[in-house]
Amino acid sequence: MRRGLWDREMVALLLLLALLPMVLSWAWFGGLDALGRLVFTLVVSGIWHLIFMLARAQPPSFAGVITAVAVAMLAPQDLSLLQLILGISFGLVMAELVFGGWGRNVLNPATVTLAFLGFGFPSSPWPDFAAPIGWAAMLAMAMGFLFGVMSLRLILGALIVPGLALALGASVAGVLPVAGIALALLVTDPVTSASTRLGGWLNGGLYGALIVLFAMGWQGAAPAQIAVSAAFLASLAAPLLDEAALALWAESRRRRHG
Amino acid sequence: MFGPLFSAGLILPFSAPPSAQTDTHLTDEAALIPDHGEALRVELLVTEGVTVAQGQPLMRLRDTPEIAMVAPMAGQVARVEMRPGRQLSQVVLFHDVGGGRHRFDTAVAADGPDGLRVLLQQSGVWRSFRSRPFGRAPRAGELPAAIFVMGVDSRPDAAAPMLALAGREEDLERGLAALAGLAQTSLFFCEPRGGRYGGRVPSQIARIQAGTTHPQGLAGLLIHRHFPARIAVPIWDIAAEDVADLGTLLATGYLPATRLVAVAGDALRETRFVRCQPGADLRGLTQSLVRPGPHDLLSGSILEGRAARWLGPRDRQVTVLSRAVQSRTRHWFGAALAQAAIGIPIIPTAALEQAMGGGAFPAAALIRALATGDAETFTRLGGLSLVEEDLALADYATGARPRLANQLRAMLTRIAEEEDLA
Repeated sequence: MRRGLWDREMVALLLLLALLPMVLSWAWFGGLDALGRLVFTLVVSGIWHLIFMLARAQPPSFAGVITAVAVAMLAPQDLSLLQLILGISFGLVMAELVFGGWGRNVLNPATVTLAFLGFGFPSSPWPDFAAPIGWAAMLAMAMGFLFGVMSLRLILGALIVPGLALALGASVAGVLPVAGIALALLVTDPVTSASTRLGGWLNGGLYGALIVLFAMGWQGAAPAQIAVSAAFLASLAAPLLDEAALALWAESRRRRHG
Repeated sequence: MFGPLFSAGLILPFSAPPSAQTDTHLTDEAALIPDHGEALRVELLVTEGVTVAQGQPLMRLRDTPEIAMVAPMAGQVARVEMRPGRQLSQVVLFHDVGGGRHRFDTAVAADGPDGLRVLLQQSGVWRSFRSRPFGRAPRAGELPAAIFVMGVDSRPDAAAPMLALAGREEDLERGLAALAGLAQTSLFFCEPRGGRYGGRVPSQIARIQAGTTHPQGLAGLLIHRHFPARIAVPIWDIAAEDVADLGTLLATGYLPATRLVAVAGDALRETRFVRCQPGADLRGLTQSLVRPGPHDLLSGSILEGRAARWLGPRDRQVTVLSRAVQSRTRHWFGAALAQAAIGIPIIPTAALEQAMGGGAFPAAALIRALATGDAETFTRLGGLSLVEEDLALADYATGARPRLANQLRAMLTRIAEEEDLA
């Protein structure tokens, strides 16, 4: 039996490859400080994957690297090492590893980590990003789509809604670069985003709508905070959107075929 | 959305163009075997050493004695192998032209649908039908809600059914007309888009154009699109060549002796189409074509084929693969981890969606229902129209372990047991 190459690790590596330009540009602008954070999150994530491999026979996955990258990029600044370890451990273990590893999780571990850190330590300032990193996020999503590991419908849905708001004169422009970065890192995760076609549109649209809503109505929130919160809520809603899309699909088939 | 413009599917890398000539090659040995995994309780009509004619009934099913299985070629019964409980393992024949050909009495077919049913069952053509849900030969009294005649095959390296039909237009028309009389229901003739069948098709038969990229030309996808199978709504599919065989049988009383089979694979010097008997000996068929060195013989395409000695009952493809060089020994830890771990999940990607025919199914949800054993969702998502071959491409693309096809079979078996149809 011959087999193709679209197994889990290949998908994780392609996602990583798609994100690489964005991560490199972030490291370029962030300097040694950023790299130090990345190495730290990588080590913590690696240790947890190792523990679950030894204790639960779960093969480690490169998806852990994606989680580490997302946390390093989006986590609030000035956290102590202990706080960071606590946040990553909670997100990684409770959102991914206890479910059986990447592919069986319901929520993205990086999203959960970031929400945990954001709500748990609200006094820490959220990171800011140079504009080119936002453009690199667009490149990441284009590559992710070309590799077939990100859903174009989701990306378009997430871009159209803020685009419409912008065209109608809403003041959301300041949030958009970070929203794009969070979209590439957190929302387009193929496992935890909606998997149906209609669900993809809805999931992306919901993320975009939440971004617009928070940007308009959430006084004093940092752009990264808005993006992470929107990603968290959108990913909580993804299974519901999928279920709705499946129900519609089944209904339309029932009508056509009886 | 762009259905007519693009046909969703995957373009597969392994295709060598076949050599031009199609020769007839009856192998020295051939066997009558059950479907893969099928427990077929039979009553033998012949003993070892007897000389039989091509088409002569060799056995009847114990539970439904009206269904017979016939000799694929004239020859001598060399070996009869049974499993406990009078289950057929294989009946091997040696080729012997002196056996002649068995002539069926086609007069019964004139008595309307019931007579035709009797002829189909006596001549063994009955078992060329495949009934969904569950993908097995139909029961003796089963009435299909629709029959799909497959004039298209998108599997990699498959021989185009139109090639098998060339010069047999009248037979096909006669066979189709007979089938239309058998089932007072829908009859679909499926043909490739862009290479439509040139001959005449009776007017009451709907013609469906299927895309050319795999898996668009599989019966499962077409049935799912046009007439989904359900528990009480069995849908049959049959290869167009078998329908032409039925036409020949009706006209002459003789069953055609050969079927068109594609022999392909990377262990061969050339890809070739041959006409051989059903149940042909794969070694005999490929011996003159194969390169030196270890190789594996599969009955079926590279995607869904199974290692076999004989050509499977419904297979029209033989794949010969060079055996992979023994990979270096794995580290003990990797081996232990692979053994202890539960399967690695499939990530929903564009590749998975395309491998399941684009938007035809909610692919990720269906795979998840299979993995969790959720029969209700599986049924709701149209899984009952599928058999193993329909998921073979997804299996190939994602390298799933355990294989999706096996998960599907387990699920179908469970549903059949719950519905008490096993």
